[in-house]
Amino acid sequence: MTTDMLSIEGVSKNFGGLSVISEVSFSVPEGGRVALIGPNGAGKTTMFNLVSGVYRQTAGAIRLRGHDISNVPSRKRVRLGMARSFQNIRLMPHLSVIENVMLGQQARTKSLADMAMPLSGSRWRREAETLLGEMGLDTYPGEVVATLPYGIRKKIEVVRALAAQPQLLLLDEPAAGLNQTETASLRDFLMGISRRGVTLLVVEHDMGLVRSLCDHAVVLNFGRKIYEGSTQTVHEDPLVLEAYLGPRHNVAQGAVTNNGVAGDAA
Amino acid sequence: MLLLQQIVNSLMLGSVYVTVAVAFTLTIGILNFLNFTIPTLFMFAAMIGWALAYWGLPGGLTGPSYWPVALAVGIIASMIVSLVVERFTFRIMKTKYGDSTEHAIPLVSSLGFLLIIENLVRIGYGTDAQRFPGPSADLTMSIGGIFVRVPQFVSLLFVVVIVIGLNWLLRTSRLGRGLRAIAENPDAANILGVDMHRIVPVVFMLTGLLCGLAGALFAINYGEVSPQMGEDIGTKAIAGMVVGGLGSIWGAVLGGLIVGLTEVMTIHLFGADTVQVAVWGLLLLTLFIRPQGLFGHSAIGKGKL
Amino acid sequence: MSGYWAGILSILAINIVFAYGIFLPVATGQLNLGGAGFQALGAYAAAYASASFGLPVYVTIPLAALLAGAIGALIAFPILRTRGVYLVLATFAFAEVVAGSILNSETLGGAMGLSVPAFIDWQIPVAVAVLVSLFVFYLMSTRFGLTMRAAHDDEVVTDLMGVNIRKTQVTAFGLGAALAGLAGGLYAHTFSFVEIQGFNAVVSIYVLLYVLLGGTQTAWGPIVGATFFTMLPEVLRETLPTVKQTLATLVGITEPVAPPDESWRLVILGVLTVLMMAFRPEGLITRTMMERLQFRRSPSRAAAEVSA
Repeated sequence: MTTDMLSIEGVSKNFGGLSVISEVSFSVPEGGRVALIGPNGAGKTTMFNLVSGVYRQTAGAIRLRGHDISNVPSRKRVRLGMARSFQNIRLMPHLSVIENVMLGQQARTKSLADMAMPLSGSRWRREAETLLGEMGLDTYPGEVVATLPYGIRKKIEVVRALAAQPQLLLLDEPAAGLNQTETASLRDFLMGISRRGVTLLVVEHDMGLVRSLCDHAVVLNFGRKIYEGSTQTVHEDPLVLEAYLGPRHNVAQGAVTNNGVAGDAA
Repeated sequence: MLLLQQIVNSLMLGSVYVTVAVAFTLTIGILNFLNFTIPTLFMFAAMIGWALAYWGLPGGLTGPSYWPVALAVGIIASMIVSLVVERFTFRIMKTKYGDSTEHAIPLVSSLGFLLIIENLVRIGYGTDAQRFPGPSADLTMSIGGIFVRVPQFVSLLFVVVIVIGLNWLLRTSRLGRGLRAIAENPDAANILGVDMHRIVPVVFMLTGLLCGLAGALFAINYGEVSPQMGEDIGTKAIAGMVVGGLGSIWGAVLGGLIVGLTEVMTIHLFGADTVQVAVWGLLLLTLFIRPQGLFGHSAIGKGKL
Repeated sequence: MSGYWAGILSILAINIVFAYGIFLPVATGQLNLGGAGFQALGAYAAAYASASFGLPVYVTIPLAALLAGAIGALIAFPILRTRGVYLVLATFAFAEVVAGSILNSETLGGAMGLSVPAFIDWQIPVAVAVLVSLFVFYLMSTRFGLTMRAAHDDEVVTDLMGVNIRKTQVTAFGLGAALAGLAGGLYAHTFSFVEIQGFNAVVSIYVLLYVLLGGTQTAWGPIVGATFFTMLPEVLRETLPTVKQTLATLVGITEPVAPPDESWRLVILGVLTVLMMAFRPEGLITRTMMERLQFRRSPSRAAAEVSA
């Protein structure tokens, strides 16, 4: 029971009178690779915001390695070992690539000295350079982020999350806007991270990536969990099909293609 | 009775603040823009009105008796200047990246305009206060033992009419719906077909109109204008707007009156030098305790700045 | 050195220190339109300590910074709860309350002002300005500086990275207030006299303009902004009469014309502000600009860029 990295227990979230997440429960085992999928507006990003602490849930509990983190402020959750990326890139536009990555290390700072030491030439900077090098992004460490192309910025955001050395990595649509080659390299990259023992929870529309990366999937629709199980059988589930294709398109209409369950994947 | 007289006095004083406060609250409520040119527009209308009444209007209309025409021209001039301000603040505001100070750009531009307009007026007309050749400001009437100056009373009625008219405009007209849509969500309003380039200048015209009217009322009531006259009124109007709640027209009305009351009462109790502390203290206290003011939504003006 | 240039140097040094005081909160994403209030606190602290207790300059000036910094940090808690327009208004209101309180204080001379017995020549302000500049450059190179700039760009994400936004903002605001107070202390001893009318709303506006027009992305911005706007009036004082005379000659007026009013300088400052906001809202000195300069300096990296 306690080996779950993350467990969501009966979590609901209302905005005003609007229920966005209702009584969702699922868990992510330690070292697992779990996909959180569902049609647009199903509440996936809201779930991420609840886990990372941007919002507080209206009801239920969120546990990280068995500890209830519901009342832990967002800035302290990253220190407990979780990091995330964002659906629309949220790098700091006026910071350079290396500075964004060094910002990601913030969760590992311990003392005032860490805050007061100049960064240039520090071990923090060398470490960030190494990390960028491993990811093949060391061409322009000093470049201001705002001037870089979309695909590069997308990767830098993942690297920034990795800089926190998280045990649980939440990725919100990492492949959005990437072409097939880039997606394939992203998959290998994420597999590499997973092999290091990092647990992955991924929101993704690209079902090819979901199936080749994740072993487990949780499907949300209108804020409710409608499926939890293997990624290999998710496209056979009648509720999932109905959620994506509407009630008129039942199973008889045919199976979903390999490229995506979602008609509205874009 | 003395207290009642003070309250009536503060009501009269507050009516000028109300008009300027409504101008402030309108631009903040709709455009999320703290427009620092508002006090100078107020001053500009009055100074132009004075200059025309003093030196004569074109077309043979000369002499002090033409002051209403002069003030009307002043109000129009202030609306035109306001449109120029729009051109250089909102129209060409372009930021490439969202960050926390990008919304400060129009605000800072408006500070620039504040310097430009006020100092151009100083260059043109000097820094001294001038006597406005309007009707006698001392004409008083007595209602049940309370003295009321007739021009002030007329101004008060005028302000009430303006505010009710403005409210009606925002609630019922097509223009008002467009303005409220922009206030709600500029991007959505744009998508839904509200033409920002047509409708934003309307806000600035209304701003110019309100400030111009307030300037004219001030000139008539106090019989004196100067290039510095906007500074004091501007601060009091801002305080009124904050107390009433950013973005709320009725809030600005009530806030302006409360500031007028605070001012009169402070002078009455502690002397004129303490007014500044009292008014700004009131503003600061409101911001700390109840930032949304009496009537404002907590969302307005919070945008990253 | 002539008295004229010594005076200019002193003013320049004070303005740089003052500009850094506003730069720190602005670089953290907090627009501070109450600079004059903090400067007044420092100036009056130094003036009072010098006039009433005869304390030496090396005590009064640090005292000015400490007092303004302490009050700044104290009010930062309620003030920084407000955001956006509210923050601008709150800082502005704070400065007005300070000015009004001093105006009503008989101990501090009210509207009459206070004489400051101890006088300092240009060397001390200049030395302080150099030290403060070095300090801010150091600060911006640390992780703390990084979190400041991150908070400026995106508060939500910075918080999720594990940064205590509130602590960062309050620290930056308090440090800024201390620097503004330090500038006030230097001012008091340089001019040997303080009066509250000298710390009005326009002063707050000017110093914010220095910082925004200089650029808030690097520590170079305030130096450039303060220098530009301190020297501008001096240059204009020289050139404006000539320009006006030339223009008069062009339209056929041969007799000497009166030199233009002081107000023209403010008009020009206003025009520059509007133009800068329209065409270069990020200020004169930007990060990208500094990067380019560095690329030019190291040819190997420039080559790497070409081959990439």
